[in-house]
Amino acid sequence: MRLIYRYALLTRVSHWLWVVAFAVLVSSGLQIFNASPNLDASDKSDPARRVLTISSPADGVGTATIFRHTFVTTGWLGWTDDGLGSRGPHAFPAWITIPGFQDLADGRRWHLFFAWVAGACWLIWLISAWRKGSLREMLLRPSDVPKLWPMQAYYLKLRKTPPPHGTYNPLQKAAYTFVLFLLAPFVVLTGLALSPGIDALANPLTVVLGGRQFARLWHFAGMLLLLGFFGVHTFQVATQGVFNQMRSMITGWYRTSEAETVEA
Amino acid sequence: MKRRLFIATSIGAALGGCGPIGTALNGNAAVHGLLESAESLNHAVIGTRGLAREYRERDVDKDFRVNGFPMPSDSRYMSLIAHDFTNYRMAVDGAVERRRTFSLAELAAMPQQAQITRHDCVEGWSAIGKWQGVRLGDVLDAVVPRAGARYVVFHCMDNDGQGNLYYESLDMHQARHPQALLATRLNDAPLDPEHGAPVRLRVPTQLGYKSAKWVGRIEVVGSFANIAGGHGGYWEDQGYEWYAGI
Repeated sequence: MRLIYRYALLTRVSHWLWVVAFAVLVSSGLQIFNASPNLDASDKSDPARRVLTISSPADGVGTATIFRHTFVTTGWLGWTDDGLGSRGPHAFPAWITIPGFQDLADGRRWHLFFAWVAGACWLIWLISAWRKGSLREMLLRPSDVPKLWPMQAYYLKLRKTPPPHGTYNPLQKAAYTFVLFLLAPFVVLTGLALSPGIDALANPLTVVLGGRQFARLWHFAGMLLLLGFFGVHTFQVATQGVFNQMRSMITGWYRTSEAETVEA
Repeated sequence: MKRRLFIATSIGAALGGCGPIGTALNGNAAVHGLLESAESLNHAVIGTRGLAREYRERDVDKDFRVNGFPMPSDSRYMSLIAHDFTNYRMAVDGAVERRRTFSLAELAAMPQQAQITRHDCVEGWSAIGKWQGVRLGDVLDAVVPRAGARYVVFHCMDNDGQGNLYYESLDMHQARHPQALLATRLNDAPLDPEHGAPVRLRVPTQLGYKSAKWVGRIEVVGSFANIAGGHGGYWEDQGYEWYAGI
C-alpha cells in the first residue's frame, strides 16, 4: 500500500465548487421552472406541442403530464409543500428549490450568479488540464472506441483482464468526454438561448435548438442527464472505497496497492 | 452495508439541506449583494446589441396572452376608453429641451414601424405578436434630451392594487435601439385595453416586464434613484433585475 498524489489543488477546488454550483443551479432552476411549469417543443409557447406540464387540476391534487400521459403526483409534483407551512399549487416542492418558497426574482439571482461560477470553474479547469497534458489522457479518441465493449465486458466479469489503457480507461474517457465536453457546454448553450439579449445577438443558436421554448426543454433535459451522471458518479464513489475516494478529492492523496498499475 | 447507508444518508441530508441553507443565505444582505453582482456582468457582456428576430405573419399568436396587472379601472382611464382615446395625451418631459405631449393622432402621423417579434416573459413562456407604432428613438429626437439625460422612465396607468403604479426604465442606448417601440397597434388592430391601450412599450431584446403597458407619461432623467423604490421599475423594486436581457 502506498499513497499517490492523484488530484492537483485546482482540480479539487473546481470539483467541489462544481458540486456547490450544480446543487444551486438545479434547485434555483426548479424555482424558475415553477413560474411556468410547462415545457414545449416549439419556439413560442404552444400547448399543442407540450411535452411536460406539471399542474394542480384541483385543490389538493397534483399531476404531471408527459407526452399526454397524466400521472397523479400529489405531494411530489403539482400540489406540494409551499415552504410556508402548508401545501399549494407548486410544481416542484419548496424544499428542493432555492429560495425555499415561491420567489422567482431571487431564484433567478442565484441561478445567474452560479451559472458564472460553474462556467468560470470549467474554463479554469480546462485551461489547467490542457496545460498539464491531463486533458489528452481524458479525451476519448477514435482508437478508444473498439476498447469500449471489452472494458464493459471486464466490468461485467465476462472478461478476465481490462483492455490496455492509460490513466483513464475507455469507459471513463467516454463518460468524462460526454459530460465535460458535450453535456456541460450543451446545458450552457441551451441556457444562453433562453436569453432574449443573446437571442438578438446569436439567433441561429435558438433556431438550431428548435426555438426558445424548445431550448427550455433541452435545458431541462440536460439538467436531468447531469443529475443522472451525478447519481452514477456518486454510486461509483460510494461503492469503490468511499473514504479513499473522498480523501483523494479533498487532500489529493489516494491510497493504492503496490501491485496496482492502473488507477481507478 | 452500514457504510453505504451512512453515505446514502449523507447525500440525502446534503441535498435536503440545500434548500434551507440557500433560503437562509438568501436573506443575508452580503450574500444577496454578491448574487446581484451577476447583473452588471450580464449587462456588460450581453448588453443590448443585435436585433431581435422578426417572424412571419403566420407565426403570430392571434390571442396574444394577457399577463401582468389588470387593466386600469380608475375614472381617468375609463374616460379615455369612453372617448376612444381621442383625449389621450402622452406627456414627454424631464431632462429634455422641448417637453411636449403626443396625441394618438400625432403619433400616427409619425413614421410607423411594424415588427413581428417574440415576447419572452420572465416566467418562462413566449408569445409572438405583430406590433406597430412609433420608434421610441423618434419620440426622443422630437423632445431632444439634454446632455445629462441617462434614462427614459415610463410612468404607467396600471397599479398593483395597493396604490403602487407600474413603471419601467431604459437607458439611452436601449431606448434608441431600432426595435424599441411605442406600440399603438397589435395584430393589425388598435391596441386593446387588455394589452395596454392606447400606448405600450415593446422591448423585444429584453424580458416582458420591460415592455410596460398603459404608458401615460415618459420622463427623461439623469437618475431613477428617487423614483418609487429607486430600482428603475416596479418589478425591479421587487428584486428583479433592471437589466432584463437574460
